[in-house]
Amino acid sequence: MESSLNTWPLIVWILPFAGAVFLWAFGPQLKRLAGPLATAVLGAAFVATLALWPAVAAQPGGVHVALWEWAPGISLGLLVDRLAFIWLSIITGVGFLIHLYSIGYLAGDRAEARFFSYLNFFIFAMLTLVLADNFVFLLVGWGLVGLASFWLIGFWTERPSAVEAARKAFVMNVVGDVGILLAIFAIYGTFGSLSYADVFAKAAQGPPAIMTLIALGLLVGAAAKSAQVPLHTWLADAMEGPTPVSALIHAATMVTAGVYLVARCWPIYQHAPGAMETVGVVGAVTALAGALLGVVQWDIKRILAYSTMSQIGYMIMGVGVGAYSAGVLHFYTHAFFKACLFLASGIIIHNLAGEQDVRKMGGLAKKMPVAFWSMLAATCAITGVPLFSGWVSKDAVVYQTLALGHPILWALGVLAAALTAYYMSRMMWITFAGEYRGDPHAGEHGHGPHVPAWVMGLPVAVLGVGSVVIGWLNWPVESFARFLAPVFNGAPEVPVGAWGGEFLSTQLPLLAALIVGAGLAYLQYGTAAALADAPDRLEREAKTQPAFLVKLFYWNELLDALFTVPARAIGTWFARVLDPKVIDAVLVRDVATDAGILGLLFRRWQSGLVRTYALTLLCGAAAMIVYFAVVR
Amino acid sequence: MIPVQMPVPPNLYALVAGAMFFIGVAGVVLRRNPLIMLMSIELMWNAANLTFMAYARAWLNNAGHIFAFLVITVAAAEAAIGLAIVVMLFRPRPQSNVDDIALLKG
Repeated sequence: MESSLNTWPLIVWILPFAGAVFLWAFGPQLKRLAGPLATAVLGAAFVATLALWPAVAAQPGGVHVALWEWAPGISLGLLVDRLAFIWLSIITGVGFLIHLYSIGYLAGDRAEARFFSYLNFFIFAMLTLVLADNFVFLLVGWGLVGLASFWLIGFWTERPSAVEAARKAFVMNVVGDVGILLAIFAIYGTFGSLSYADVFAKAAQGPPAIMTLIALGLLVGAAAKSAQVPLHTWLADAMEGPTPVSALIHAATMVTAGVYLVARCWPIYQHAPGAMETVGVVGAVTALAGALLGVVQWDIKRILAYSTMSQIGYMIMGVGVGAYSAGVLHFYTHAFFKACLFLASGIIIHNLAGEQDVRKMGGLAKKMPVAFWSMLAATCAITGVPLFSGWVSKDAVVYQTLALGHPILWALGVLAAALTAYYMSRMMWITFAGEYRGDPHAGEHGHGPHVPAWVMGLPVAVLGVGSVVIGWLNWPVESFARFLAPVFNGAPEVPVGAWGGEFLSTQLPLLAALIVGAGLAYLQYGTAAALADAPDRLEREAKTQPAFLVKLFYWNELLDALFTVPARAIGTWFARVLDPKVIDAVLVRDVATDAGILGLLFRRWQSGLVRTYALTLLCGAAAMIVYFAVVR
Repeated sequence: MIPVQMPVPPNLYALVAGAMFFIGVAGVVLRRNPLIMLMSIELMWNAANLTFMAYARAWLNNAGHIFAFLVITVAAAEAAIGLAIVVMLFRPRPQSNVDDIALLKG
């Protein structure tokens, strides 16, 4: 490794932090400059990331920067290997576009500078997570992205639902942090080191039971951060945050940290087959559950949130069955098409003055062509229309799942693909086709200072184009998988170039799923008859949706019954029994009474007669003299 | 034995000092007038001073002189505070009797 290259990871890492601190300190003075400044910082970070490319491309091991020795045997540093570089490029690249977009979206908000400070801080936290060469930085980054997510979900503090959602997300993420922390304890106890290189080199020597525990602890963290079943409920509520936040944190980067974690720790999972199986099942179940819930949503951001959950399910399923590079590829394409979907929905919401209910949209294709065409491209990608990016990556995940011997997970994946095609097409037709059904005056009144439309349009368009072409990194030549091969050297992944029966076993079923899903959506929402009486039809549908899905599988209620109710019962018991009857009664009141009794005894001494005190003093002195002069 | 022959042997000084001290003690314990009590306390201080002086001279040790100064300083401070307290306590009262002052009775 050349030492001259070693500063680039540091620069990438520190820039957003400096930006966050600067904006936090001088934000009020910067006024309208805060957004452009934060965006420039991200642009510089992206350039620094690109500057790392030659080194990463040349060296399979990547660039390593040793920072300092925190404790004996625990040295901390940064590592940009090919896996980290993949994430780095998305965090800074897509992050830059979303910052640019936020300038328009947040224009005129009373706390614009604070928003951009948080956003830069989030980037720093995410970079800490990804650049770590050890589990300490990983955990620090893991916690800090949760904090940034908390700040940004609850950014509009005047909305109680946003504050509540932020708290919910934070609490569920802490559950995951605890899982990772326990895993780290076990790692240190077993291997005596916390650096990736040491631990992964010795992974084969770990006792199988311990390895399974470690892997499951990491999975708890991954599930909480990536909104996987059973810790998924926070993601949809997190849509209370500003839309750029949903795009950056809750679609493109933070929620995929679980995928990164499993992919990064693949040597551990390789030696914990039971845990790995669990990861695959969790992913597949989430892919299906998210898709099912997406079908009954009316809030455009919630539809996208559940589709995010579902798509991350695919990624987790991929890395869970051992198809690491396929899972990472799906992360890569997903970052483009899902960020595009969110930002395009943000344009719609922005122009309709905050309206998010698709029933009050309709006919927007003509009004907002940039949002429409980008969203169409991204929808084609997510549903798996051939040649679009999502087609390449989803196909890779689903095919590898089958090839690595998981036919049931494969079936769940195909089923989820059909549902994906259905709910995404449903959203497109309801939103963009037919006649406009909302308030005719919405968005006509200008609010806040005007920002050129390209600030929001350009990022959406770039991401829309990315949704189309980015999959070609791995198709028809598998350069993406080859690029990552050194990272996953020794994984059981189906070798590059060995995708024989792919067409019949995967592409055909996925295509069928797409046609069935989109076709059903067309019959229901897209035909001329359906569009003609859309308002009535949608109202009727809203009333007849299955309660099981509308209530989100009663999962919030289940979690409440399992955790909130017992916790509240314990609290009530403390408040009604333990506190008044033990702490107040015994520890506080009885002690006070005892002191009082002692006081009653001793108060007789305090006669208040000065001469009595003098006599007492004299007697004491006499006693001392007698003691020292006579007794001793 | 004592290195310096003094016209009056130090033991006699100690005897006088002891007498002074117990007169002081009796004054504090028996009298009720706060001013007399303060004076009795002064008497006890000075009994101690006399002892210091006598033996400092007998042993040719200046520590005794120094201690006497220390005692005088503290005694002065005590007198200042004590008199102030007496004045404050008895200003609103017709007569001065320490037995009437029992505000801190338990």
